[in-house]
Amino acid sequence: MSLRLKIVGGFGLMLALLVLLGWVTLSLFTSARTVQEDVFDEAIPGLVTVDEIVRAYTAQSAAVRGSLIGSGPILLAQYRSEVDTARFWEERAQDLFTSEDERALLDDLVEAGHSFQELVDQQVIPLSDRGQRIQAIRVLGQDGTTLISEIERLGNLLRDAQREVVIQAETDVRSNTNRTIVTLATVLLGAFALAIFLTVYLPGRLVGNLQKLVEAARAIGRGDFDQKIQVSSSDEVGELATRMGEMQQGLKRLQQLALHDRELEIAASIQRNLLQRNLPEVTGARLVPLQRQANLVGGDWYDVAVEAGAMNVALGDASGKGIGAALMATVALSALRGERSRGGGPKQVIASTNQALLDATDADSFTTLIYASLELATGEVRWMNMGHHAPFLIRAGTADDPTPRGYYLEGPRNRALGWFEDPGLAEAMIRLAPGDRLVLFTDGFLEAKSTQGEVFGDHRMAEALVRLASLDPGPLGEELVADVERFAAGKLDDDLTMLVMEYRGSATLGDDAEDRSGEESWHSRR
Amino acid sequence: MAQQKIEIDVSDADGYQVLRPDGDLDVYTVGSLRDAIGAIVESDNPSVVVDLDSVPFMDSSGLGALMGGVRRLREAGGDLAIACTREQHLKLFTITGFGEGVSIAPTVDEAAKGFKQTNA
Repeated sequence: MSLRLKIVGGFGLMLALLVLLGWVTLSLFTSARTVQEDVFDEAIPGLVTVDEIVRAYTAQSAAVRGSLIGSGPILLAQYRSEVDTARFWEERAQDLFTSEDERALLDDLVEAGHSFQELVDQQVIPLSDRGQRIQAIRVLGQDGTTLISEIERLGNLLRDAQREVVIQAETDVRSNTNRTIVTLATVLLGAFALAIFLTVYLPGRLVGNLQKLVEAARAIGRGDFDQKIQVSSSDEVGELATRMGEMQQGLKRLQQLALHDRELEIAASIQRNLLQRNLPEVTGARLVPLQRQANLVGGDWYDVAVEAGAMNVALGDASGKGIGAALMATVALSALRGERSRGGGPKQVIASTNQALLDATDADSFTTLIYASLELATGEVRWMNMGHHAPFLIRAGTADDPTPRGYYLEGPRNRALGWFEDPGLAEAMIRLAPGDRLVLFTDGFLEAKSTQGEVFGDHRMAEALVRLASLDPGPLGEELVADVERFAAGKLDDDLTMLVMEYRGSATLGDDAEDRSGEESWHSRR
Repeated sequence: MAQQKIEIDVSDADGYQVLRPDGDLDVYTVGSLRDAIGAIVESDNPSVVVDLDSVPFMDSSGLGALMGGVRRLREAGGDLAIACTREQHLKLFTITGFGEGVSIAPTVDEAAKGFKQTNA
C-alpha cells in the first residue's frame, strides 16, 4: 500500500469516526426530542385532559344532584357550564390521543359522558320539572352513578395508557443513552488507536525504513555495494529501497566493468608492446605502419624483421573482436616470432603459426595473414596470402608517365590459419621498382559501413589508394583512414591496420631492373 | 561488447533444417546464430542449410560462426551447407578458403544436395 494511500486512508478513517460521532450525537438529540414530544407534548397534556373530562362529568353529576336536592337554577347553570367544559376538553383530547387504543377508550369515554348528559337532559331534568324529584333522584342515583363510574373507569384506563407512554419513553431514553455511551466509547477508543497509528507507529516505521536507506547510502558512499537493504514495505519507501538495491547492483556492475576496463587497458598495453613501435631502419626500403583501433584491444597485428638482406613483413587479422581476437593475435604473433627465431623460413613460420592457432583456438576462430619478404638488393617480393584480402601495389610513375598506378596484387591463394590442418603454402613473387609501394591492410578498411549500410569495399579502397598515391606513406595512410572515417560517419566497428612497404632501390640496383610485364593497372582493369 | 539479437527463422525441410538470419551477421549478433546452430547440433538430425539471402553484411565473426558450425555439425554426424547469392559473402568464402569443402549454392535445395552427398 502506498504511503499516500496510508495517510489518506488514516485521515479518511478519522473523518469517518468524526462522522460517526456526529451521527451518534444527532441521534441522541433526536431521541431526546422524541421523548420530549411523547412525554411533555402528548402524555402529560393527555393526563390533564382526562382528569378534566372526568372531573367535568363528576361535577355535572354533583351539580344535577344538588339542583334536585336544593337550589335548582344555580346548580343547573353550573351543570350547563360543566357540559361546555367537558365539550372543550373532549375536543382537545381528539388532538392528543392518536393511537388506536387511546382513541377507542376516548370514544367510549365521550360516549359514556354523552349518555350521562342525555340521561340528565331527557329523563332527570324533565322528571324534576314535572315535580317528580324523588323519581329524578332515583334515576340519577341508579343510571347516572353507573355512567359516572364507567366514565371514571375509562378515565383511569386512559391515564394508564398515558403512564405507559411515559414509562416507554423513560425506557427508550435509558436504552438510547446506554447505546450512545457504548458507541461513543467505541468511537473514542477507535480514534485513540488510529491517532496512535498515525502519530506514532506509521512515522516510527517510516523513519526506521528511511534510516536503513540512509545507512545503505552511506555504505554505497564507502564503496560497499554488498550491504543488504532490508526494508519490507509495499509503499513508496519500499519502492525506493528496491530501486536503491537495483542501483547498488548497477554500481557493483559498473565497478566490475571499471576493473574490466583496467584489465583491458593492461591487455592493450601488452598488445601495444607486442606490436613493434620502433621498426628496423634499413637502406633501400621503408615500412610505415598505421593502426586505428576501434576498441582498446583487437585482432589486428603485424610484425617486421630484417634478416639476411630481406625485410620480412607479416600482417595478420584474427577473426572477431575484443579480448578473444587479441588473444588469438598474441598466439599467432608468438608462434610466428618463435619459429623465426629458430631460423625457420617463411613456410615453416606459417605452418607453425597455423598449428599454434589450431591448438589454441576454437572452431569459430581463424586468422588471415599476408606474409611478404622483400629482398632489399633486388626489390623482389615473395609473398603468401593466407585467406587475406589481396594487397595493393602502387607503381611509381615513370619518366614517360609520371602518374602512379595501382592494382590489387592477386596471386595464388592459400587458406586462413587456425582452421585447416593444411592451409596451403603457395607463394607468389613480384619485383618492385624504386618508388613502388606494397600496401597491406586488414578488412576493417573494406568492411567500414556507411550510415546506409553500404560497405567501403575494394573499389573505393583502390580508388582512394590511387588518388593518394603521390603522398608520402605516412600522410597516405592518414588520408586514407580519414576517407574511411568520413564514409562511416566516424563510426568504425573494426580496427584499421595498414602497412605501406616502399621500396627505394639498392645502390647496386638500377632503375632498369624493374620488370612490369603482364601487369594491369587498377584503372585499366575496371 | 553489447550482444544484440538477430531474428533467425528456423524451418524444417526434407531431412534437414533451414536457418534464415535476417540482418547483419557481425560480432554483435553472431551469438544468435551460434545458439541456433548449437540447438541443431543437439537435435536428432544435425543438418542445416543457412540461407544468407537476408544477411546484407557479414564480418569475420559471422564467417567464424558458420565455419565453427560446419565442424560441430560434422562431428555430430550432420553437415552445414550455405545458400547464398550475395557476391560480397561469396568473395569472403573464396578469399579465406572456407568455400572449399562446404556446400555453397544459390538456393537452399541445391545447397542441401551438396551436404547430402557429403554425408553419403
